[in-house]
Amino acid sequence: MNLDAKIPSGQIKDKWDKYRFDMKLINAANKRKYKILVVGTGLAGASAAASMAELGYQVEAFTYADSPRRAHSIAAQGGINAAKNYTNDGDSVWRLFYDTVKGGDFRAREANVYRLAQVSNSIIDQCVAQGVPFAREYGGLLDNRSFGGAQVSRTFYARGQTGQQLLLGAYSALSRQIGKKAVTQHLRKEMLDVVIIDGYARGIITRDLVTGKIESHWGDAVVLATGGYGNVFYLSTNAQACNVTATYRAYKKGAAFANPCYTQIHPTCIPVSGDHQSKLTLMSESLRNDGRIWVPKKQNDKRAPSQIPEDERDYYLERKYPSFGNLSPRDISSRAAKEACDDGRGISSTGYGVYLDFEDAINRLGKNVIEERYGNLFEMYERITGDNPYETPMMIYPASHYTMGGLWVDYNLMSTIPGLHVIGEANFSDHGANRLGASALMQGLGDGYFVLPYTIGHFLATNKLEKVSTDHPEFKKAESDANQKIHKLLNINGKKTPSEFHRELGKTMWDLCGMGRNEERLKKALEIIPQIRSEFWENLTITGVNEDYNIVLEKALRVADFLEFAEVLVWDALERDESCGAHFREEHQYPDGEAMRDDEKFCHVAAWEYQGDSTKPIRHVEPLVFEDVKLAVRSYK
Amino acid sequence: MGILSYLQSSILSKIVMAVTGAMLVGYIVIHTAGNLLIYSGQDAINSYSQFLHSLGPVLWIARIVLLLALILHIWTSIVLKVSSNEAKPEKYAVKNYFKAKLTSRTMLWTGVAVFLFVVYHVSHLTLHITNPEHVVNQMYLPHGLHLSSAASALSYERTDVYRMVILGFQNPLISLVYMIAVTIVGFHLNHAVQSMFQTLGLNHPKYFPTIQKSSVALSFIIIFCLISIPISVLLKLIGGNL
Amino acid sequence: MKLKLHVWRQKYGKSKGYFEQHDVDYVSEDMSFLEMLDVLNEKLLKSAKEPIAFDHDCREGICGCCSLTINGNPHGPEKATTTCQLHMRKFKDGETVYIEPFRAKAFPVIKDLVVDRTSLDTIIQSGGFISVNTNQPQDANALPVDKKQADLAMDAASCIGCGACVASCPNSAAMLFVSAKVSHMGLLPQGQPERKKRVLAMVNTMDAEGFGTCRNFYECEAACPKEISVRFIARMNRDFLKASLSKED
Repeated sequence: MNLDAKIPSGQIKDKWDKYRFDMKLINAANKRKYKILVVGTGLAGASAAASMAELGYQVEAFTYADSPRRAHSIAAQGGINAAKNYTNDGDSVWRLFYDTVKGGDFRAREANVYRLAQVSNSIIDQCVAQGVPFAREYGGLLDNRSFGGAQVSRTFYARGQTGQQLLLGAYSALSRQIGKKAVTQHLRKEMLDVVIIDGYARGIITRDLVTGKIESHWGDAVVLATGGYGNVFYLSTNAQACNVTATYRAYKKGAAFANPCYTQIHPTCIPVSGDHQSKLTLMSESLRNDGRIWVPKKQNDKRAPSQIPEDERDYYLERKYPSFGNLSPRDISSRAAKEACDDGRGISSTGYGVYLDFEDAINRLGKNVIEERYGNLFEMYERITGDNPYETPMMIYPASHYTMGGLWVDYNLMSTIPGLHVIGEANFSDHGANRLGASALMQGLGDGYFVLPYTIGHFLATNKLEKVSTDHPEFKKAESDANQKIHKLLNINGKKTPSEFHRELGKTMWDLCGMGRNEERLKKALEIIPQIRSEFWENLTITGVNEDYNIVLEKALRVADFLEFAEVLVWDALERDESCGAHFREEHQYPDGEAMRDDEKFCHVAAWEYQGDSTKPIRHVEPLVFEDVKLAVRSYK
Repeated sequence: MGILSYLQSSILSKIVMAVTGAMLVGYIVIHTAGNLLIYSGQDAINSYSQFLHSLGPVLWIARIVLLLALILHIWTSIVLKVSSNEAKPEKYAVKNYFKAKLTSRTMLWTGVAVFLFVVYHVSHLTLHITNPEHVVNQMYLPHGLHLSSAASALSYERTDVYRMVILGFQNPLISLVYMIAVTIVGFHLNHAVQSMFQTLGLNHPKYFPTIQKSSVALSFIIIFCLISIPISVLLKLIGGNL
Repeated sequence: MKLKLHVWRQKYGKSKGYFEQHDVDYVSEDMSFLEMLDVLNEKLLKSAKEPIAFDHDCREGICGCCSLTINGNPHGPEKATTTCQLHMRKFKDGETVYIEPFRAKAFPVIKDLVVDRTSLDTIIQSGGFISVNTNQPQDANALPVDKKQADLAMDAASCIGCGACVASCPNSAAMLFVSAKVSHMGLLPQGQPERKKRVLAMVNTMDAEGFGTCRNFYECEAACPKEISVRFIARMNRDFLKASLSKED
């Protein structure tokens, strides 16, 4: 497998400009002869579909939701980074680039990250022009706030709903093109397979979630903007329907899957309250500015928090990391919470939770100040848990949040299958082993508005594509594969529900391949996952038929792919025998608990190539070359 | 289609409702103020009535405009009701309201009731159909004339509105119908006046709460003023001499 | 906690619906309403009965997928809360709960509690945007925006497109939804060039999609999980009237 990243030559700051000049163009009148299929309508998908339609391509946009606006990009709270330097605090494209590479623990591709930093400013301009109501100062200009992993204030935000507002911006651009009939939208259709003809990605197979109809769609290029795979842990901050099917199917058709083990765990989520739990809700990290995190010193201490005297509390972050305390980085805070709970000192009825206590802050600053700062978050917490955080400490626990890994793409955002482009969270490209806050929105929109519309033109201009139709045998074969799989699932007639298998898989992944990983547990996971999978294919129950709005079948199809994909993730975690960013191998750590990289052996991207259902995939390597950033120990001290 | 094409647009229909409603509210306010003249005695209210009749064509224009407003108001509301019913073909088995008040939800029915009353009211006091025996003429003296020319007195006659009202309200049944009807008018206005401002786009946090309160206050004032007349008649506070 | 549920079941869009009764005894007050239904669905599935279909996705109150009219109120009894964030502690032990789909002609039922809300997207497609192509803009700070106006625009823009306003309205009017988008863009300088065209196009599409007429009940404002104010409706009426009186065809 050829992992040529096709990074343009020249100085890093000139690469993108030069490359854009070198790219072949398509005459405006000819663009309408090309059809591009975009799967997913989140930030990346909607912005790409709209921008390409504006250029004149025929675009078809697919989503499993009932509207493009439902995509989970909508849930991002904090903000979006850009190197505008409006605050005059020394920011620059170079600094944003550097912070992102460092935040990713030096496991991202320099050229891609630099380009992202370059286009970051245009994103803000674009969004403002679309009417995104970013927060403003009294002078009428845009406001910025600070975010983790940066010493400058470069985050643009729209209250706590930045993701929503940016998505609605992209959605409005997409809607405009749909209204003009430049984009055809396909709602409630889930991609089940990608179709390869003569080595090129030439179409997709979808299932209509309402009628069950299996349909073929052809295109001259296919774009996957299908998000991350955080739901492999069952419980995560992702939406219920987020799944790995599209990217995993592409992987099975030959696209390399890069760095699947890079999964980010967010430290401040509302803990699980029981087996019924379907979802974990994120509480903004900003709470850690004033809250103090603690657990009881004694194990199995069931006393109410107010009954536990000060000297019997363990403020473990303040104790272990005195200089950063409660504001220690995400991964460190998450792991420390897990350690405390594994030690039997966790709180809440399940034992998986730690306190985030505002008592001191309220005493020091007064309730009013706290209410002003976090009022809406406290309200949301009370709505979900029924506890009043002004009176009793909040309970929090880490949860799966974002996945840095994804399909491998080159500088053009094209996967190892020609014509198959991957953008947003679905690709692996920009965040390395750890994503900084407010960077996901930047990457999704950067890919969709400012990178893909150029590079896809170059692809179309430089490749001679035969006309295809959905009557092609490859489409028929893919359709029949999908139908067979559905038929098989419907006829297992077992006893366990798709959710039960998903929950079982999630627990295995969380316990054995979660925040802290080691060889022994990973190997155990590799034993358990195939067992769950084989039971799935023998003991699954589904009601109803395919030709219906069948929510059980829909779920089963997704779980089936998670059950296969999980194994790739674990292989990757096992073979990356170093700690870096969010991938923490307990065997490799500094005494203070920070991840210990092994740049000698692992300064590379690991990309997995499918070899058949029961065969271990092949691990390919794309070396990472750092010319402009010096490799260093990531330290925030 | 022509002039009725506004009915195709939900907002234009609403605006027609608001504008015609505003005209009718204006009429009710003036009418109420005029009616209160009954407390000033027989001459005051009869002179007022005579003055109105003396306007001739102006009175007719006002009547026609009001009638048109009423027709448009009713017609539009029927069309809107039909389209609203179509927009929610299947109703909820259970429905619970947070903000919709009884007054706002019953606008159509209070409107129907008001309309029926208006028909009766006009038949009684303007067209003199229902109780013609209440209609008597009053002799009066125009300004500047003296009783000495009594011979010509017969030519100075006018409708005795005062007597007509008193005789009408002395009938407890008529009074009861009237009191119920004006209460319903008040109900209708309670929602209508503030709704009119909202429809015309005049909703601002600074003054809208005042509008809402005024709307309610106006409806109560109208009810109070109008109900006071039959009560006063029944209690013989006025018209006891007849 | 025990509950008596009456759940609307409807096999297909055109088939006749009915209430199905489920007496459930497993309800914990920490469950969200949808988790309560999840558990019921698992039980149904275990006994080879077809689970209840309902729309949901993010489960944190922002995607606008979840719907359900619970005891006559879209998104249930708690104010400013979507169904996914409504928790069972808001219900009393033994309570009878009616669960119905969002009802409106413009929201046809697909199955059980799932309805088709694409009519809202159609309205947006007819004008709910600012016509700006990628890469045309000037610097983001070239045009200052009064903070108060920007904040008000954000209030309007916080609409999640769930359709509770339509569902709660006895006339199935979509005025709150449409006015939120019209106001969001009409309040910003970027939205001015298309202001008249936008409001006319969106309101006409709204009428064509089969939504009813606003009668100023303000149920929409009460049902809105984002507490969007009916003042935006007044603003839209104003804009619409102005645009209608001054349009040049």
